[in-house]
Order: sequence, then structure tokens, then C-alpha cells
Amino acid sequence: MSSLTITLVTRELYLNRWLIATAIFAGLLSVYLASTSQMGYRIGVLAWLTIIVTIGVILPMYGIHQERKDHSLLFALSLPLSGADYARAKMLGLLLCFFLPWFILSLAAVVLVLAMPGIPDGMLPFVVLLSGFLIANFSLVLCGALLMTSEALIISVVIVTNMCVSLFLFIVFSIPGINDYVQSAVPVWNEVVWTVLIVEVAVLSFALLLPLLVIPRRRTFI
Amino acid sequence: MKTSAFEMRNVRKAFRFFALDDVSLELEPGQIMGFVGPNGAGKSTTLRILMGLVHADGGEVRLLGHPIPRDQRVAKRDIGFVSSDMRLFQQATLSWHMRFVASIYSEWDAAYATLLVRRFNLQPEQTVKNLSTGEHAKAALLLALARRPRLLILDEPTAGLDPVARHEVLAELMEVLRDERRAILFSSHNTVDVERISDRITFIDRGRVVDSSNKEEFLERWRRLQLQLGAGIRLPQSPEIVDLSVDGQFTTLTTDRFTPELATQIQQAGATILEVQRMSLEEIFVANVMRHRKERAQ
Repeated sequence: MSSLTITLVTRELYLNRWLIATAIFAGLLSVYLASTSQMGYRIGVLAWLTIIVTIGVILPMYGIHQERKDHSLLFALSLPLSGADYARAKMLGLLLCFFLPWFILSLAAVVLVLAMPGIPDGMLPFVVLLSGFLIANFSLVLCGALLMTSEALIISVVIVTNMCVSLFLFIVFSIPGINDYVQSAVPVWNEVVWTVLIVEVAVLSFALLLPLLVIPRRRTFI
Repeated sequence: MKTSAFEMRNVRKAFRFFALDDVSLELEPGQIMGFVGPNGAGKSTTLRILMGLVHADGGEVRLLGHPIPRDQRVAKRDIGFVSSDMRLFQQATLSWHMRFVASIYSEWDAAYATLLVRRFNLQPEQTVKNLSTGEHAKAALLLALARRPRLLILDEPTAGLDPVARHEVLAELMEVLRDERRAILFSSHNTVDVERISDRITFIDRGRVVDSSNKEEFLERWRRLQLQLGAGIRLPQSPEIVDLSVDGQFTTLTTDRFTPELATQIQQAGATILEVQRMSLEEIFVANVMRHRKERAQ
């Protein structure tokens, strides 16, 4: 990795530092809330989910789309790099900005499941799958923001991926191989869980590779 | 052999509603080229092709000897690019930008940057979103100048600035040119700014370069002659005559190659020359563009 890429990734972390810190703080607060009571659990889980989904939308929208819209992209592209170099650094930077809160909050959710006596450990595979889904979902929004210049198209991607969160919760939770073991005392890592996880990794890889393949072929970067 | 600051040979770029057609330009180190054209003429597209931000469909582009877009990473190390469209990162302060740019360019001159902060009356701890248009333009210029680039590419840098800010910016550009290894490509539709600082001028209109020459040569060649033509007198057809307009008994002749011989030729045709006027760059620009539009329409 070149020193300029590192500088740009660091810049991304710096510019989004308050957003990352707020998401981590609010996310941990929601996990704590989830541990307090039955009602707190419901509100906390909903808040946890909302925070990760929201930061997953804000980062690409402000980091890529807004930068294009307010012409600060032109300043970035005046630096000694190509448009494709910048897109790579941007992707890496925003991925890291999302990864930090996502990882900490996912870990906090795992700890909540394992530490809370009221929550069966059988929930663990579902929590892991949900976390995997959220990072895959983010990577799709990131991919859309990197590849599309039309605001309407990017908003469409955001709407569709947000709808997918509800769909994921309904569909995956109702799959027998998952739903049957949610209340079990020990986590069950069966074939269904691994299949969903592989699909999530495939979506994540596709969404991250596509911009790397398409953007270097572009002839106009602004 | 001295490397050109930049070179464009037969560059083409087609968009849906606009095309840059066969653009060839060259600038030597130590020169300022004023790149003048009406809105939508292709100035920004040309500069963006130079910067590797837009890839040309054909032709050759070299920036400080490096082929573009292939070697833009290397070439852009020595380029300062400022555009009136360009915005710095809204959430960050000017001092953050200065540290950011300094971390990328080893040639960053911190003392010069501090001097420019004072000269431009900027507040380094102010966030970019709170800067006025003039302050923003000066901040962007500061970031480009303090890295001591060999070539400055400026796309309408004085657009939207008040007269004082414009004066400050132009004065700083003149200062830069004291170092004769540096070059500036300066695009604008403000001919007053261009006339003030440029030593080479290129006119572009509707995607084509219509004329390119030294400023002094332009100002020397172009003249407007006030004539009185007697009844039945017709001036000879001549490629030097760019425009002829008749207002009652007076005729105004515009020429792009004024010589004493042309004056003699006109007098021999029976016309009386009442006055020979020098033309401002703006008048030359407008006459030049109108002539080429007429030629293209025919």
C-alpha cells in the first residue's frame, strides 16, 4: 500500500471520527439497554440494528456522493494519484470507518448473547449471520455509491438494501435450520448457517471487487 | 533539451452534446498562458484532460514530459491545480488541509504557506464550510502554491471573487513567475485578468482552438480602422480583413494582420483612414471568436 493511500485512509478516519465515535457510543448504549429488561432488550436490539444500518448509509452517501456533489472530489483528484487509485483508497477508508463500529458492536452483541442468562446461546449463529448480513449490505451501498453518479440510483440502492434488512430478519429467522435452534442452550452451527454465511461472504466479495474492476476502465472521473 | 510544461497534440474528446476537436497546445517553462473562451467553450474539459481526470479519445498529452493519463501519478507531484469548481473538504479546517497536503508533497514550503496565510488574511483554524467564496479560492490557491509546483493549472481561479481578492490572487501569481522555471496555465473568460498576467494567449471556442500567440503579438497585429468610403468605392477582398461594418458614411474595418502596407492598400482603394485604434484583448477575443463562428457556419 502506498503512503498516499495510507494518508487518504487516515483522512477518511479523521473526517468521520465523530460519526464513528457516536455510532460506537450509541451502539454500546443500546447493547447495555438490551441487557436491562425485556422491554429494554427490544428497544436495545432495534437501536443496535438502526445504528449499524444508518452508519452504513451515511458513510457512502457523505463520503462518496456528497464529495462528488460538493466538488471536493476535484481537490482529491488533483493529488498525485489516478482516479482508480483514489476510488481504491476511498473504498478502503470507508470500509475501515464502517468496520470499526460494526466489529465493536457485533462483538458487543455476541457478548450480550453469551453473558445474559435470559438470552439462549442458540441465538449466537443468528447474531453472527445478522452481523455478516449488515457488512454485506454496507458493501452493496458502498459499491453502488462508487459506481453510480446519479443521486436517484444511489438512493434506490439505499432503499432496496434497507428493505433487505427486514426481509433478512423475516426470511432467515424463519428458515427451519436456524429458527429450530434459536432457543437451544448451545449454539448450533449447521449446514444452513454455513450456507447463509457463505452467501454473505460472496455478496461482500462481489460488492468490493466490482468497483475495483470497473473503475480503472472509466474514462471520466468527475 | 528543455521539457515543455505541457504539450497537447491533436487531442479529441467527444461527449453527447459537446466535442473537443483537434486541440494542440504547448507551454514552455517560465511562461503564463491565458486560456480564454466563452462559457462552455471547452476550457475546463481541456484542463481536466491535462490533469488526467478525463481521458481523451485521441491525440497525445504530455505533462512535464510525462504521458497522460498513464503517468499522472508522477506528473501531478509537480502540478498545482485549482479550479473555481473545486471545494476543499467541508468539515476540515485550513490548517488540517495544510498538514494533509504537506504530508503528501515533500516540497511543501511551510514558511511560504504561513506567509500566504498572512498575505491572504486567512484563519487556519476556520473550517472550510465557514469560508467565504474569496477565502475559499485563496485557501485553495495557497495549498497549490505552497507545494512549489513546476506547473500551476488554474481553471477560472478568479471567478466570483471581489476586485480586492482578485488583485491579491493575481499579484501572487505574478510573484510565482519570478521563478522562471515555473509555468502557469490560466483559464478564464475574464480577458482583463488574462491580459494582465499572461504572456501567451490561446482562444478556444466551441471545442476548437481558434488562435494562439504571444500577447504582444496579438495586441500588435489586431487593429480597428475607422474609414470613410466615397460613393462606389469598394475595399479589396483580403484575408487580413476580419470584419467590416458600415454605419452611415463610416466604415469600421477590423484586421488581424495590420501592417503599413495594408493601410496603403486601403488608401489606394480610395478610402480615407480617419483613425487606427489598438484593440483590447477582449475586443480581439470577441472578433476572433465571431470570425471563426462565421467561417464554421459557411
